[in-house]
Amino acid sequence: MVPRLPVRDLTSRMLPTSSRRQLSTSSKTNAATTETRSTQHPPPGKRKPLTKEQRDFLSSALRVNQAGELAATLIYTAQTPVVVARHPHLRPLMKHMYDQEAGHLDTFNALIAKHRVRPTALYPLWQVLATGLGWGTALMGREAAMACTEAVETEIGDHYNEQIRTLLEMVAEWEADGYEVGPELRDLISTLRRIRDEELEHLDHAVEHDAQKAEPHWLLTGVIRAGCRGAIWVSEKV
Amino acid sequence: MSPSRRFGTSLASQLLRTPLPPSTTRTAFGRHCYHSYDHPPAVAVSYGSTEQAILSAAYTHVPQHGFSQRALALGAEDAGYPTISASVLPDGAFSLIRYHLVTRREELSGKTKTIFGEKNLGAQQLSTAARVEQLTWERLLGNKDVVHRWQEALAIMAQPSYMPSSLKELSLLADDIWFLAGDTSVDPSWYTKRASLATIYASSELFMTTDKSEGFFETRDFLRRRLEEVKQMGSVVGSVSQWLGFTANAGINVLRNKGLRI
Repeated sequence: MVPRLPVRDLTSRMLPTSSRRQLSTSSKTNAATTETRSTQHPPPGKRKPLTKEQRDFLSSALRVNQAGELAATLIYTAQTPVVVARHPHLRPLMKHMYDQEAGHLDTFNALIAKHRVRPTALYPLWQVLATGLGWGTALMGREAAMACTEAVETEIGDHYNEQIRTLLEMVAEWEADGYEVGPELRDLISTLRRIRDEELEHLDHAVEHDAQKAEPHWLLTGVIRAGCRGAIWVSEKV
Repeated sequence: MSPSRRFGTSLASQLLRTPLPPSTTRTAFGRHCYHSYDHPPAVAVSYGSTEQAILSAAYTHVPQHGFSQRALALGAEDAGYPTISASVLPDGAFSLIRYHLVTRREELSGKTKTIFGEKNLGAQQLSTAARVEQLTWERLLGNKDVVHRWQEALAIMAQPSYMPSSLKELSLLADDIWFLAGDTSVDPSWYTKRASLATIYASSELFMTTDKSEGFFETRDFLRRRLEEVKQMGSVVGSVSQWLGFTANAGINVLRNKGLRI
């Protein structure tokens, strides 16, 4: 029998039901073949090809991560001169955070080029918005600048965690089926973990440096976090 | 029922059964999407075996009969199928054109090694721009055998129903050439590079259809001039934006020196 492609299944699969997407390695359409596969294990060392959804997920993940790190470097670039002029003792901290973000950006630039993923089309828009955000919060004072970092890094940390969770699920499913997982994906997961930890470290630095004394803290972080979520949503698509 | 008719129906059902995805799904799958080295897709972007057999046989008739139903019918006969079976191909003559576009494009990655292989061993590495020119030229030479039929093909490709598919192939070609040339830009120039190369390729291809010179050297010169123009254009835009950025930065720094806390 010819398995006809049920379009409805595909679309319902592509529309995220929760905030986190479930990426199954086997779609419902080839359920029959997976059943036979699970009874007889594939030969050792065999790797499963990525499905369309998995490739889409990886493309949009790399694209949005590159856009995010680009924005982060620009936020720190714009904040540094203003913040440092008023509080010279913050110079090493700002430089440390900037250097780490620049490293992340290089990592994702290399990954995007290697895996032939299209960069985000709104690149210039993110450049302008990120510079504006960094400069604006820096003008509002040290606390506001740190609150900006706090808000951004909170969202980014959550975002990386979601990606890592999705990837781990994918890998776990492969391993359960007896497939091998290539170093490419293992490296990606460990890179994402390292970067997430560094972002959360920035969050701690920001809170240590009076981020929560910004006035009004709830409004500032609320607006910036909503903006981040919006930007992430758009960058995943465009 | 005569044996040939029975064969014909079984072939038709076989053709219909092997999934012949509409052009959009086949190309959309590989379109600027995560390219995995460890977990490559199961089916490469190519054709089913029956389709492949008919199209590759029909392709040899193109120089004589053009990208036409006639070539397809002769190809089906050569491949051992009834003449009528070619009509099972979804887009008729256009499927033959797309076969040409896809196979010539996929050949490029294999040719890259032979083109750049020896030169890379030497001390001098070719610049990305030179590699792009070389690859684009190599792809244009892929049209050599069918160039006298290519205007007809362009006319078919320009029909509204085939236009999206043709443009998609063109953009895939531009993407492949930049990738094979080793370009790693991941900023907005990613878009401008692909768009300008696609335009240049399309116009050079059109130029080539009327080129009667030895070894198409006039097309080669045309291609070189167009690429040179784009390079100059790009450097002008780059210089202007660099100047603007520098001026804005200097202005802000002057204001900061005046004591303004910005």
